[in-house]
Amino acid sequence: MSARPTYTQDVVSDLIDGSLPWAQTRQIMSAYKDDDRFEKYIAILQERVPWDDPIVLTVGEHLFIVATAAGHVVKCDCGHEFCDYRENWKMAARVRVRDDAESLEEIYPGPSKPDVEWMELREFICPGCAALLEVEAVPPGFPVLHDFLPDLEAFYEGWLGRPVPTVGG
Amino acid sequence: MSNGTVATTDKPKLLGAIGLKRRLEEMEQTLADTGHYDGIEELALRAEDPLKYERTHTRLSSAVIAARETSKLISASPGVREVGESVVGLFTPEGDSVVFSAGIMVHVHSMSRFIKWMIRNDYENDPGIEPGDIFANNDAFIGCVQLPDVMDVIPIFRDGELVAWAGSVCHELEVGGIVAGGDINIAIERFGEGMPVCAEKVGTNDEIRRDYLVRAERSLRTPIYWILDEKAKVSACLEVRDKVNELIDDLGTEYFKQAIHEYIEEGRRTHLERMKVQSVPGRYRGVTFYGNLFKDKPGVLPVAAKNELIPIPVEVEIDRGGFMSVDFEGAGPWGWHPNNCSPAAMEGGFFVNLTQFMDYDGMVNDGAALATELKLPEGTWTNPDSEQVATACGWALMNPAYGTFVRLMARAHLARGFKEEIFVGGINCPFFEAGGISQYGTRFGASNFELSAAGSGARGIMDGIDTGYAIFNPESDMGNAEVWETALPVLYLGRRIWADSGGAGKFRGGVGFTSLYKAHRTPLLSVTTAVHSGKVFDNAGICGGYPSPSALYHYAIRDNDLAERIENRDPLPVGVGDADAPDMLELISGDVEYTEGVYVGKPLKDGDLFQHSYIGGGGYGDPIERSPDLVRRDLDVGKVSERLARNLYRVAFELEDGEYKVDAEATAAAREAERERRLSGSVPAAEWFEAQRKRVVDNGFCEEVSAMYHDAMELSERWRGEYAEFWKIDGPLAWEESK
Repeated sequence: MSARPTYTQDVVSDLIDGSLPWAQTRQIMSAYKDDDRFEKYIAILQERVPWDDPIVLTVGEHLFIVATAAGHVVKCDCGHEFCDYRENWKMAARVRVRDDAESLEEIYPGPSKPDVEWMELREFICPGCAALLEVEAVPPGFPVLHDFLPDLEAFYEGWLGRPVPTVGG
Repeated sequence: MSNGTVATTDKPKLLGAIGLKRRLEEMEQTLADTGHYDGIEELALRAEDPLKYERTHTRLSSAVIAARETSKLISASPGVREVGESVVGLFTPEGDSVVFSAGIMVHVHSMSRFIKWMIRNDYENDPGIEPGDIFANNDAFIGCVQLPDVMDVIPIFRDGELVAWAGSVCHELEVGGIVAGGDINIAIERFGEGMPVCAEKVGTNDEIRRDYLVRAERSLRTPIYWILDEKAKVSACLEVRDKVNELIDDLGTEYFKQAIHEYIEEGRRTHLERMKVQSVPGRYRGVTFYGNLFKDKPGVLPVAAKNELIPIPVEVEIDRGGFMSVDFEGAGPWGWHPNNCSPAAMEGGFFVNLTQFMDYDGMVNDGAALATELKLPEGTWTNPDSEQVATACGWALMNPAYGTFVRLMARAHLARGFKEEIFVGGINCPFFEAGGISQYGTRFGASNFELSAAGSGARGIMDGIDTGYAIFNPESDMGNAEVWETALPVLYLGRRIWADSGGAGKFRGGVGFTSLYKAHRTPLLSVTTAVHSGKVFDNAGICGGYPSPSALYHYAIRDNDLAERIENRDPLPVGVGDADAPDMLELISGDVEYTEGVYVGKPLKDGDLFQHSYIGGGGYGDPIERSPDLVRRDLDVGKVSERLARNLYRVAFELEDGEYKVDAEATAAAREAERERRLSGSVPAAEWFEAQRKRVVDNGFCEEVSAMYHDAMELSERWRGEYAEFWKIDGPLAWEESK
């Protein structure tokens, strides 16, 4: 008998939205992890997005690596496509930089703001839906971080035991 | 029956005939050769009788948990009694942790380092490892984070054979450094950090040596904490030894010896399995920074009197086998400041974070550490090439480092679908320490450990923990104000939630708080702050969340009108108030002092005030996706200001009869307007890149930023190469030319 629990798609859907009652959430967090979570998660997200490209992996609140005829690309849930997943999607985003006292004080008033010569806030924005996708707090001149470069092959073939989803063409 | 204290006529067998040192070397070789801890390919005891195997593990876990609870009652320190700054563990003869209690679990692994250091340095022969011996250490390069982590271990013998070690750590509130407290904020090399204990035999026959206690009595401002903590730790170790002996009486020595090694191999396997269940292989990168402000700070010697920006880069690689390596390439050099870390500290900090996000149940032990690897580049603050550097405030860089690490793992959880496990990580929280003349008329020194109840980072499906999280102690507690008032000559005039101290986001970081203190019945109170970053945030949000405001000021107001305000029943500055017009500047008159970054205050006296803020964690997700109702609830209880509710969360509200009412339609319109503003106020990253590249080429940075790049690149050709590649620059970089 497996010690692993499994949950319905509705429960997982509420769980990832934070709308499951805390007692139930807590119970799930304390239990062994559900082996089929990834499949259910992807199925839920696939139902929610307004496009059909198969989701391969989630890389942000709004961002996915999807399979397309042109390969695996980073795509926003609004439908905007950024670039090949091996490149940094941030360099294909729009960026708003808070690097002066006025713009920083909107969020960090008075003495709570950083020194603008030492640190800036870079806000990476989806050109399609204007969602705020990432915020970097770094000194000026610091290279843009490539947050996550997944090894899709090792994940799918090595851990899930199936090929990386692709789209013919 | 042996209780471990009976002296044997023969020299005790430390590990059969081969000796402890060779046994440790062989075990390390076996792990390298077979991939299994102690070469254990089959968990034979588990297969043979799983219930007995699990029951035995539970008995050992219970032993260390119970021993810690008992020992807390022996301690006199509010840090240990109130806040739980202690831990108890059981170790194999070779020094690997088997089970440990709740508390400051960082030291479970650093105690492993300490035991192994003694083994490698042939303590078996000199000074000898005998039944009843007590060994102590607080040397970060032997095995701990910083000097206040005083650890005691005792060998456990059975019929003359070493079968285990018991160990315990208490964090000391006063260590006899050049300023009072535990985390000596202006130490610039190890000399001046306080009273060192470098892997010393401090007791025999289960008794702490008198000369060791005399040293503590004469070296510390408030020796009672250290001395009673010593007794607490030794009592915990002895209690664990008793329980181990009871267990061996029941199950036999051979079963015990084999089981404790199988538990570690199982811990190693469990960790690898979990990585495969909960993460995704690949490369993860993050970074944060710390501003060490030593320029013009009183008490800092000229060699160190400068401001420094310290980079804290973290790269995680998870391979196909679930093996994780964490690389700090690009970290800046060690410096003449107290924020450096020893490898033991880096390993311990890693371990305590692993226990919180991945290895939080089952066989939690050094097995997890064996399934991972830290890459600590030599010469950086993560692995100084001198063991004389100061490490008194190593947490200042370690907390941001492992907060970043946890954020990287949050990306793994997000990818895998375990959003409920997403955690934006812990933060580094400055706190105050004090010395001078106590309310009892005696000299004193002590830390105030309220920082153990800062805010945490946000979670993937809910806000972070408000006023109740410490990265270094998952069982955190701020302690009762009344108890802190007995330890320090201060009166609490208030503790108040600090609005906006949690980083903004769809789910915000947990909020911190502010305390207002009155110097009380003292003619002399010297206050300092430790692990106190300035000019930069030393944390971050993810997926659109913002950092918490961690570039903090500390306020003091001498010769003030407090008495008059109390007499008139006027409001007191118990909180931060309006950030543009802080209550400490608006609600009280007097001689004001406020300092950015580490604080070394002029003396206070009875009636003077000071205010310290404890920060919150980073946020998760886009703030304009936050439920307007959550914003309303935050407004109601003062966790978010009206300013941020409008400016950042873009919620339209009115305050009617003392209640906030949200206008849903106007909120939707405000959020739509913000989306338009984002698009019109931003540029394509490629366009931004070109302008920034010119700035890089021209070295258009302040001295400290330029120095940071120069110094980090001197230590890392790889990091330099990646930097030049990113900015598409051939040939020397500007700071290389200027040097």
